[in-house]
Amino acid sequence: MTDTPPTLHTGPTHRLDTAKLLTARMHAVKVRPYLADALFALHVVEDWAVPTMAVDMHWRCYVSPGFVDRTPVEELAGVWVHEVCHLLRDHHGRSQRYAAEHGEHGPGERLRHNIAADFEINDDIYGDGLPQPTDAIVPSLMGLPEGLLMEQYLNRASLSDLARDLAWLECGSGADGHQRPWELGPDGANGLTRQQRDAVRFRVAEGINGRPGTAPDGWRRWAQRVFHQPQPWRHLLGAAVRSAVGTAGGSQNHSYRRPSRRAAGVPKVVLPRLVRQPPKVCVVIDTSGSVSDTELGIALVEVAAISRAVGGRRGSVSVISCDAAAGVAAPLCQEEDIELIGGGGTDLRSGFARAMSSRPRPEVVVALTDGHTPWPATQPPCKTVVGLFRRPVPAVDEDNPHYYQPDPPPPWARVVTIGLVLRTLQHRQPRVIGVEAFDMLQQPGFSGVAQHRR
Amino acid sequence: MNSISVSIPDLPTDEPTPLAIADDLLSLLKTSTTEPRSDEQLEALSIAVAADLPVLLWGEPGIGKTAVLTQLAASLELPLTTVIASVHEPSDFSGLPIVGDDPEQRGVPMAPPRWAVELVKAGRGLLFLDELSTATPAVQAALLRVVLERRVGALRLPPDVRIVAAANPRASAADGWDLTPPLANRFVHLHWAHDQEVVVRGLGGVWPRAELPSLDRERLPEAVSFARRAICGFLTVRPKLIHQLPGAETQRGRAWPSPRSWEAAMTLLAFATAARVSRDVLALLIRGVVGDGAGIELLAHLDRMELPDPESLLADPTAAHLPVRGDLRRAALEAMVSAVQSRPTRQRWEAAWVVLAQALETSAADLLVTPATALAELRHEDWEVPDTIEQLSEVVSITQRASQSVRTMGASR
Repeated sequence: MTDTPPTLHTGPTHRLDTAKLLTARMHAVKVRPYLADALFALHVVEDWAVPTMAVDMHWRCYVSPGFVDRTPVEELAGVWVHEVCHLLRDHHGRSQRYAAEHGEHGPGERLRHNIAADFEINDDIYGDGLPQPTDAIVPSLMGLPEGLLMEQYLNRASLSDLARDLAWLECGSGADGHQRPWELGPDGANGLTRQQRDAVRFRVAEGINGRPGTAPDGWRRWAQRVFHQPQPWRHLLGAAVRSAVGTAGGSQNHSYRRPSRRAAGVPKVVLPRLVRQPPKVCVVIDTSGSVSDTELGIALVEVAAISRAVGGRRGSVSVISCDAAAGVAAPLCQEEDIELIGGGGTDLRSGFARAMSSRPRPEVVVALTDGHTPWPATQPPCKTVVGLFRRPVPAVDEDNPHYYQPDPPPPWARVVTIGLVLRTLQHRQPRVIGVEAFDMLQQPGFSGVAQHRR
Repeated sequence: MNSISVSIPDLPTDEPTPLAIADDLLSLLKTSTTEPRSDEQLEALSIAVAADLPVLLWGEPGIGKTAVLTQLAASLELPLTTVIASVHEPSDFSGLPIVGDDPEQRGVPMAPPRWAVELVKAGRGLLFLDELSTATPAVQAALLRVVLERRVGALRLPPDVRIVAAANPRASAADGWDLTPPLANRFVHLHWAHDQEVVVRGLGGVWPRAELPSLDRERLPEAVSFARRAICGFLTVRPKLIHQLPGAETQRGRAWPSPRSWEAAMTLLAFATAARVSRDVLALLIRGVVGDGAGIELLAHLDRMELPDPESLLADPTAAHLPVRGDLRRAALEAMVSAVQSRPTRQRWEAAWVVLAQALETSAADLLVTPATALAELRHEDWEVPDTIEQLSEVVSITQRASQSVRTMGASR
C-alpha cells in the first residue's frame, strides 16, 4: 500500500500565463473604462476542460491556459469584454426565461441561445481599441440585421444550420443559463450572489449614466434601461383605460344605491348590489402624416379590445380622427367600420373639444398620438389617457431654426408610451409586439385605414 | 307527506366499500415528507410579518401562496384565517349596516362578520386576504382599510394579528387593478414566483421545510444602530431619494421611496440584521418597500459601508483586511489612496505601499494598477521609493504591456 494515491499526468505541463491574461484585462479596462467594475468583479478559474474562455452565472470566469497561450493580448481583451457582456446583459436569466416560455431545452437549444446571445453582443463591442476576431459570430453570417436582442434573433432564425458548424462555441452558463460539468455551481467559492450581481451591474450602469459622454450609444441605452424595465404597453394602456373607466361611472362594482336581492332574506341588514354601468369612451386619433398606418391599426385594435373587455356595448366607444381639424365622431361597432380621415399637421385640441361636445359626453377620452401637437390648456372634465407613439428624440441643436421639441403631455393625463418593438434587456416576455395586429391589418375591412388617408 | 327512500346495497361487512379504497389511495397520495431548504421568498415574508408591516404578495394564481402561508402560520404558532376577497361583499369588511328600531337616535351599527369576531376573540392570528385584485373596487377599498387601519367594521383587530394580502400581477388580473401611490407606499411588495425544482420535488413527495429566521436577542441594539446609521448615511448623500413620487406609468402600483417607506426600510434592515438573513433576502425586502431603483442604491451603499475604513488601513497597514472580491478590493484601495491624497504625509504614503504589497499576495495584479499609479504620482521629491515597491514589479510590467497593446491597437485603427 502506498500513502499517496497515484497521480495521473494527463494534463499539460505548463500553467496558466496569468500575467498575459491580466494584461489583457488591463487592456480592456483602458479601452472600456466604464466596464472596469464588472471586469474586476470576475473571479478567474483556471480550467483545461473549457475550450476557450467561459463565464458562469455566478460571475466566475473559466480560462483555458492553452487558449491564453495561443491568443494575442488584444484579442484576449476582446474576449474579456465579450464574456462580461453576457453577464451584464443578464443573458443567463433571459435565456432561462425564454426557454421556460417556449418549452425548449437540451444541448442544441443551449447552443442556439449562446449563438443568439453572441449576435447581440458582437455587433457593437468591437472596434475602438478592441480588434474583432476573425471567427467572431456576427448576425450577418445568417443574413440577419444587426442591433437586435437575443430573443429577437432566437425568434427570427432557426440558427440550427449555424449551430452545426459552431459546436465548439462555449461561453458557459453565463451566456445561456445551462450549467456545465466543470462549473463550480452556486455553492462553489468566490461566486457572486444575485444581490451582488445586481449591485455590480448597477454600479456599471451608474458609472455610464454619470459620465454618458464616455460610453457608446448601445451601452448608454443599456444603462438607462437595465434597472427601469419597461412594461408591455398593451398592459399599461389596458390598465390605464380600465382604471379610468372604473373610477368614472364604473363598470361592475358593488353599490348601496340599489339594494341587493339577497337583502330580502335578511330584513334588517342593508346589502349592496352589483351594478354595471357600461363606460362611454371616446378615442381621439391623431391622423397626421407623422403617425404610420401600422401604428394606428395596432392602437385601434387595442382600444377596441380594451373597451370590449371593460364591458362596453355597441356604441359605447366612439372614434374621432383628428389632424388640424377634428373629423366626425362615429360610434364604433366593429373594428372594420373605423374610417380614418386625415393627414398633415395635428391639433389635438380640436379633437378634445369635439369629444367634449359629443352627446352623450364621454367619461374617458383616449388620445392616440405621436405627441407632435399642442395640448388643451385646461383639464377636460373627464379622465384622459394618452397613448404616445414612441419617436426617437432628436439631438438638441440650438443653431437649427427648424429645431422643435414637442410639448410633453399635460400632467392630468395618464401617459402610456406605445412602441412597435420592445427593446428591453430584462423583459420577462420578450417578443415583437403587434404581430396579431399586423394580421388584423391584412383583413379586408382594415384596408380602410390606409385608403382614406392622403 | 313526502318521503325519500334510500336503498342501501347489501355489501359483505368484511369487504371495504369502493369509497373506502378510494380514500386509502387519496391518503397515500397526500402523504409527503419535508426536507429543509432555504427559501429566500419565505424568509423575506417572515421578516416582514415579524416586523408587523403590511405585506402584499404579488403572484400568479395557483403557485402555492396559501400553502406557504399555512407553513408560516404554523411556524409562528399563529392560527391562520384565510379570507378570499373576491367572494365577499364590501360590507363583509367594512361591517354590515343593520337598521335597528330607532336609527335616528341610536345610529346604524356596522356589524362585523363572524371571522373577524372570532379573530378578535382569539386575540392572535395570521389573517390572509387572498385574491385582492379580482375583487370589485368597492371590496378592495373596504379591504385596504382592514389592512392599513386594522379595523373590521366597529371591531379593532388586536396587535397580535398579522395581516398578509395577496394579489395577481396586473398583467394577469382580470380587471387590471392597480394601487394608488399612497396605498402602494404602505405595503411591502413581495413578488412570489414558483421554483421549478421545488414543485417537481414536492409533487414527487418531498416538500421543502424552510427554516425561518429567528431574531437574536443579543444583537438587537447593534441591529438598530446599524439600520439607523445606514439609512441616515445614505439619505444624507442622496437627499433626492427621500421622496420621489412614481412618475412613469410603468412604476404605478409599485413601491416608491418616501419618508414613510424609508422608515419601513429601516425597520426591515434592523430585523434582517438581528435575524442574520442573507443579503439576497434583505434585497427582496428593501426593493419591495422603497422600489427597485432606490433599493439597489441603498444596497450598494451598504456594500460600501462594509469596505475597510481607509484611515484604519493606513494606521495599521500590516493588519489590513481587504475584501476578496476584485472590484470591492480595488474600491477599498482607491479609497485609501485618495485618503493619502487628501492629507499626504510620508508616513501615510509609505503605509499605503505596505497595504498594496500585501494586497498583491492575494489578488490579481491588474487590480492594483490604478491605485499604484495614483499613489506613485503622490510622491514628493525628497521621499525615497520604499523597498516594497519591488514586489510590485509585476504590476508595473502589466501596466506597460497593456499600454503597449492599447497603443498598437490605436495605431492600427
